[in-house]
Amino acid sequence: MGVSREFFEKQLLELLGPLQGVARRLTGNDADAEDLVADTVVRALRALDTLECEAALRSWMFRILNNTFISDCRRAGARPRTESLELESAESEEGHEFSLFEQMHQPFLLWFSNPEREFLDKLLREDLERALAALPEHHRVIVVMSDLEECSYAEIAEALCIPIGTVRSRLARARSALQKALWEQAGEYGLQRAAASGA
Amino acid sequence: MNQRRIDCEQALKQILAYIDRELGDEELKAMQGHLHTCKSCFSRMEFERLLKRKVGALREEPASPQLSERVKSLLKSY
Repeated sequence: MGVSREFFEKQLLELLGPLQGVARRLTGNDADAEDLVADTVVRALRALDTLECEAALRSWMFRILNNTFISDCRRAGARPRTESLELESAESEEGHEFSLFEQMHQPFLLWFSNPEREFLDKLLREDLERALAALPEHHRVIVVMSDLEECSYAEIAEALCIPIGTVRSRLARARSALQKALWEQAGEYGLQRAAASGA
Repeated sequence: MNQRRIDCEQALKQILAYIDRELGDEELKAMQGHLHTCKSCFSRMEFERLLKRKVGALREEPASPQLSERVKSLLKSY
């Protein structure tokens, strides 16, 4: 089986946007993101004969990108990502996660106002960017892959080398963390009380 | 064949998978049935879906020209 070089090159150029998008969110700046994608491409070219089929290309490239980022962090002496065991044990705990909807929804106001919807309407692009940047990497990458790059749970599982069940639970926690970050930002602007009262 | 019914607790556990289109056929039908009849869960689903769309709008589509050129050079030299 395997994948032809011609197919790889054609698909790669179409994947560059999504790869760069994820790389930007991981590294936090354009220059490092470009380097990360370039390194990813080099690694992919060297390992092309290990790619089993054309359908797996997208998740395979995201996996190489993610692994390259982790290696770069370790080489740079950056604080290593807590991987597998620590993350899994934290995520196996059942807990009530933060929800913007639960924070603001007031059923008795249903016909008169919709504070949670108004909160969303007031959100600016920079509010979302800031909240996303504030997430720890393992939450940020999964939100980016799911919500920005529209990867399926199976693709995310393949790219991050985690079971699909873990994708589901980690994504739920990541979105909860994002919502909490948005709520705390709203507190900085004095918008929490207004949102809670439906003003 | 009777459609499986779920309650709000079960629906809330699946709301994110629903908006991500990751439910199997039976789970999907049960969820749709519940959302048709439960205003509260429907409101929650709409909220989560809208927030997901807003986050999705942060996506920057094409790769930068510099990166495209850099990768094309890499492909030529490997």
